[in-house]
Amino acid sequence: MKRVFSFVVSLLAVLFIVMGVRWLIAPDGIAPEFGLILGDGLGLSSQIGDMSGYFLFLGISMLLGVVTGHRPWFYAAAILLSLTAVGRTIAWLIHDAALASQIRSEIVIAVLLLIASRVLGEDD
Amino acid sequence: MPFRHLFFLLVLTALSNALPTAAESADSVSASSFAAPKRPNIVLVLADDLGFSDLGSYGGEINTPNLDAIAEEGLRFSNYHTAANCAPARAMLLTGVDAHLAGVPNIPEMLPPELQQYEHYQGVLGDNVVTVATLLEDAGYHTYLAGKWHLGAGPGKLPSQRGFERTVALADSGADNWEQRPYIPLYDKANWYADGEPYQLPDDFYSSRFLVDKTIEFIDGNLADGEPFFAYLPLQAVHIPVQAPQTYIDRYRGVYQEGWDVLREARRSRSIELGLVPPDTDMVRMSTTDDWSVLSDEQRRYESKRMAVYGAMVEAMDHHLGRLFDHLKSVDEYDNTLIIFTSDNGAEASGSADPLSFAARQVPTSLGYNLDYESLGLKGSYNTISPSFASAAASPLSLFKFYAGEGGMRVPLIITGPSVSKAGEISHAFSFVTDITPTLLSFAGVTAPNDRYRGRAVEAVIGKDLTPLITGEVDRVYNETDSIGYELAGHAALFQGDYKLLFTRGALGDGHWHLYDIVRDPGETLDLAQEQPARMQAMLSAYQRYARENKVLEVPEGYSHTKQLLINVVYHQFKTPALIAMLTALILLPFWVAYRMKKRST
Repeated sequence: MKRVFSFVVSLLAVLFIVMGVRWLIAPDGIAPEFGLILGDGLGLSSQIGDMSGYFLFLGISMLLGVVTGHRPWFYAAAILLSLTAVGRTIAWLIHDAALASQIRSEIVIAVLLLIASRVLGEDD
Repeated sequence: MPFRHLFFLLVLTALSNALPTAAESADSVSASSFAAPKRPNIVLVLADDLGFSDLGSYGGEINTPNLDAIAEEGLRFSNYHTAANCAPARAMLLTGVDAHLAGVPNIPEMLPPELQQYEHYQGVLGDNVVTVATLLEDAGYHTYLAGKWHLGAGPGKLPSQRGFERTVALADSGADNWEQRPYIPLYDKANWYADGEPYQLPDDFYSSRFLVDKTIEFIDGNLADGEPFFAYLPLQAVHIPVQAPQTYIDRYRGVYQEGWDVLREARRSRSIELGLVPPDTDMVRMSTTDDWSVLSDEQRRYESKRMAVYGAMVEAMDHHLGRLFDHLKSVDEYDNTLIIFTSDNGAEASGSADPLSFAARQVPTSLGYNLDYESLGLKGSYNTISPSFASAAASPLSLFKFYAGEGGMRVPLIITGPSVSKAGEISHAFSFVTDITPTLLSFAGVTAPNDRYRGRAVEAVIGKDLTPLITGEVDRVYNETDSIGYELAGHAALFQGDYKLLFTRGALGDGHWHLYDIVRDPGETLDLAQEQPARMQAMLSAYQRYARENKVLEVPEGYSHTKQLLINVVYHQFKTPALIAMLTALILLPFWVAYRMKKRST
């Protein structure tokens, strides 16, 4: 069971890290996947900095959870994903944004991380 | 006495009435004597990859009535030479400076990394040259560009920053003729710009129609102010992908079913009849030409259709140029417009001999194109002509685009307009692409800068003014000792008098210098190197001097332009994924080490 969870969480972490790196190296390729048009100046700086930071943090914290067995790393990643899903829902309700299908994945992964924290987490 | 007095008064009155009239008349005579005649407009049309004998007036079977008509009104050149590929030709055409000094010794898509480290080997028009558009704009001309630019798209490099007032420009080496789509995977999209900003093509786009429409729109936009214009119209026709409207394709069904050898021979005969080449002009059979007789019926049908689309694309180009000429007549500008028609280089032979093979299908299908017979040449279809039919497009010459043989460098040149006194005649005088800029400047009454422009050092124009040739004052502008050197990716040539020194490397060459009399033997069939060793030696020395003075660099060992293009495509496609993989691996490495250490300790 532990092996399966380690593998799944690590795989997802690598995917998030790849997305973060893509934002760093080739933002024009990944921006359309998020429905974004790249800006310039401060806008471009914010897009690249925030998005790469988000995904790299997500991936690295998940890997830290797997490697160290410290539960707070899973919690941090789960909180980040949950807040993203909440934000998307508010955007849909209040700001007329599209109801993004990504919400499903974010909730599923957040739940998975909470379970992983129980399975993979070690008592101090 | 009173009568005499009255007579005197009458004379005085008559004189006083007449004087202002005479003065006005004198003023008016003076004004009409000294007012500068309106400077001529200039329309420079550049076809892409058009073969020497593709036009009707150059021996071709393709229906080109509008270009044939301006050839009848003007002067045709039978011995005009350009560069053997795109961007270097355009750099020389627009600046009058050798391509190496202008920063464009080759197209950037084919430059090896070993040469790209040199500043003048970027394949982008340098700031050390001034375009003819800049000089004409300075002189009060309106300057327009509609078509392929391919001389740089970075800061300060688009045509809107190189002297063109209004532009709609393709920055790439080519693109689809029906929609905004790249034709090779080197480009993520077809990069069109209008007046310096990225541009989205309209839905009803067809290249020749659209570019002529834009030219007319630009011309009409400023017609009211009476200032002359310079319209540069570098068409996409007939560059890969070879595409044309169905109505034109239908006209060439069955025309090419006899194959390329028959066509090459027919064009040779016709160009002899027209007096473009000597009566005894011989031809080589190129090693890239296949045997038509061994093809299956299905293969012949497909090959004929490929060429039919090519003929259709040339005719469509001619039709739309006819619309432009008619428009100039309708706005009463035709008679005061110098029209120049030429091609950037000779016929293109990069199309596969077997386009339906697995290897040849990879590039078109990766870009979403189909190769179906029925829709060949239409929207969504990727068409080329084979090297075999390209040999017919270059007839009766040897080799084609990318090579310094006559088939790659000798192309049609037609000049018509005011002061062209030799209507319908053919000039056999040698001329070179760098001559166009000084000729245009001469017609416009503009002096080219010598070595400085607006305080900065620039390369001096090396081309010669062809005006005396066009007006019939002289028969040639280059004398027996003038030499013109040329180099492209290791292929080289030197023109001097009636002779040409030629070096072809790679699969189509033998790596030796050859000497030809290109006036009596335009087909380059008889090597005179052994017969005339003194001339050979003198011309070799002249080439070495040319190479030194123009900073020609040697290509790396084993260089091939097709291989380099493939390498650059692969590099372009995989550079980013490789970087992403490397950086991801770098981030993951410490976690993997930590994980292994933890596992070992437990």
